[in-house]
Amino acid sequence: MAKGLPKSFKKALWVYHCNSGSCNGCDIEIVAALCPRYDVERFGIKLVGTPRHADVMLITGPVTRQLKEKVKRVYDQMPDPKAVICVGNCGNTGDVFYESYNLVGPVDNVIPVDVYVVGCPPRPEAIIDAVAKAWVKLETLEAKK
Amino acid sequence: MSTKATTKTTYQLPIGPIHPALKEPVMFEFEMDGERIIEADVKLGHVHRAIEWTGMRRNSIQIIYLAERICGICSFVHPFAFCRAVESACDIEVPERAHYLRTIHGELERICSHMLWAGVAAHEIGFDSVLFLTWEMREKVLDLTEYLTGNRVTKGIMTLGGIRRDITPDQIPKIKETLNYLKDNFEKLRHVYLDDKTFKMRSQGVGILTKEDALKLCAVGPTTRASGIKKDVRVDQPYAAYGDIDMKHMTPDLLTGEVNGDVYDRIIVRLLEVKQSIEIMEEALDKMPSGDIVSEPKIPKLLAHIKKTVGEGVGRDEAPRGEVIHYVKFDGENENPYTWKVRASTYNNILAWIPMLKGEQIADIPIVAASTDPCMSCTNRVTIIDKNKKYILDKEQLHRLSVQKTRRLMR
Amino acid sequence: MSKENLDPKGLVKYFKDEFKTKIKKAEITVKPSGSNKREMTHIWMKIDKSIFKPFIKHLCEYQFPHMAVVSGNDYPKEIELVYHFSLDFGKERKEISLNVAVDVPKSKPEIETICDYIPGALITEREKQEMLGVKIIGIPDSRRLFLPDDFPEGVYPWRKNEKGMEKLIRNLHEVKK
Repeated sequence: MAKGLPKSFKKALWVYHCNSGSCNGCDIEIVAALCPRYDVERFGIKLVGTPRHADVMLITGPVTRQLKEKVKRVYDQMPDPKAVICVGNCGNTGDVFYESYNLVGPVDNVIPVDVYVVGCPPRPEAIIDAVAKAWVKLETLEAKK
Repeated sequence: MSTKATTKTTYQLPIGPIHPALKEPVMFEFEMDGERIIEADVKLGHVHRAIEWTGMRRNSIQIIYLAERICGICSFVHPFAFCRAVESACDIEVPERAHYLRTIHGELERICSHMLWAGVAAHEIGFDSVLFLTWEMREKVLDLTEYLTGNRVTKGIMTLGGIRRDITPDQIPKIKETLNYLKDNFEKLRHVYLDDKTFKMRSQGVGILTKEDALKLCAVGPTTRASGIKKDVRVDQPYAAYGDIDMKHMTPDLLTGEVNGDVYDRIIVRLLEVKQSIEIMEEALDKMPSGDIVSEPKIPKLLAHIKKTVGEGVGRDEAPRGEVIHYVKFDGENENPYTWKVRASTYNNILAWIPMLKGEQIADIPIVAASTDPCMSCTNRVTIIDKNKKYILDKEQLHRLSVQKTRRLMR
Repeated sequence: MSKENLDPKGLVKYFKDEFKTKIKKAEITVKPSGSNKREMTHIWMKIDKSIFKPFIKHLCEYQFPHMAVVSGNDYPKEIELVYHFSLDFGKERKEISLNVAVDVPKSKPEIETICDYIPGALITEREKQEMLGVKIIGIPDSRRLFLPDDFPEGVYPWRKNEKGMEKLIRNLHEVKK
């Protein structure tokens, strides 16, 4: 585990989920992380309905042309400090959709990404691990100020 | 200046593209009068990834893996329908054991999908604990899927001419254990969804789709069976092992004796189908013959055979949401198909949203849209423009409206 | 439903009696479809464009069909549209699939709509309009369905040798040095 991580999370992370054209496989695994088997709510991590309350954005899917502006708008509406986690192979490098006329690049062409989660779809444990890594990154950013 | 009261004008309500209870980001535009919906309009296209265009540039084995990722929840039926189309066009035969194995995996996926839907529907009404109860039961079924195929969601076991993994005799006890667990808990699920007073108040008489509308708009799946029309590809044109298994169309009058076409009927149809799937799986496990699981294991030979074929084929099967159809055409010169056309089941059900939503209140939008089971809840902001005022309702508030209505009814 | 339920041969005869020579091809294929050598029956027909609308009317008078989808094949001089219907659903194990192909010349790519008989065909007709460039006459709603609004006009992705898309195709995994 990362050095300097205290015994409990100091600040509970609120998470916003955005689907930019994915097949919904990754989206189901994100919601499965909230369920009693993996139970991410015991850490205080909560799925919120608006980006204005969120600290971390989970984005899935290769970005389609129609949704490019909307993803940027959602990113701008999140207050600082924020982190972006790209869940699933589609957003990382395109996976099976590596060549298409309606897709605008992997997610880091559109917004800056902090953590990449690999898998198609990634297991809920991998998603929780990614949120923990984003937490460590946010804490280090705040400590630097 | 006239002193007569001016008539209330209607206002436009755009919802989307990322939105409560939807398979893909879809944009709605409602014309509202107060809280009632007068007109509804649907705009699609936000998840267009150019799959058919890409498919015409790859060979048939690569298309199987592309077809799996069309939808994460129906990730077994799309490769299944594609393989049926190619096998029909190129005359590739499928061994008997493979038919039974395909049936078992298809029904397992149907159980997972219906339980996912049940949880989402409960969440839209406002009962979060029912969401957790249903998804906890679903985790056991996903454990079984992982035990048999290696992954929880995109399984990758379909191939042309058969299936890639076999069920060995030492795996059968675990399958029977999971099915017994589901049978024991089915009564609990039925009691929560069908006997609860609040569920009935929120879902009876809401989102009605009449029989004539369902027939004219060519709706498919549980949406149309709940309106009384009997359409089910497994019963009408049996494929795989369904011909050997005795089954009938599941309509709501099997349980309650009458057909209304509202949200309550759709819940009944889906719960009955879960029970039917458990029975089908048990019967298929008992009747499965022994033998090969794939007719041509060497892929280059298969691709060479496909390269020489001239012909076209259609493959249809029954996804948890309705009928899925794939059309494929080969021209005898390339390995890639000349044309590949996919029609997923939700596209026929989208036109059915419009008659269902007219006359409903805003707070009922999530449950009516979710009752046709369009895959997943995503979220977005809702902008209401009311004369000169403009205020933003986000998903939390829309969901809160839906929950508040439940609390009002409970008093 | 005014007539008895015909079997595939009777159905082909029902159409041939009405339209005679305008039906260019009518073939019944029986393919294996499951365990125990079960079979499925498909009827493949090819008709002339001039009798397209009367054909659909004749079909709806026999029985209201279930319209699955319209698929399209792009050939050098014409576009072939294939309409997939299915009849006799609801009775166990007796469903018949009917696939009707119509040729539309590329010099004048137009065809009439069937939305006045079968309202559920709206979405698939809109898709053909934007993907293949076939103009559907009389369609109630002719907006774009899947392609974004700023996609260039006159570019049809499903046509082979389509030239206008070179700038739009992207390779997502390439790394720019």
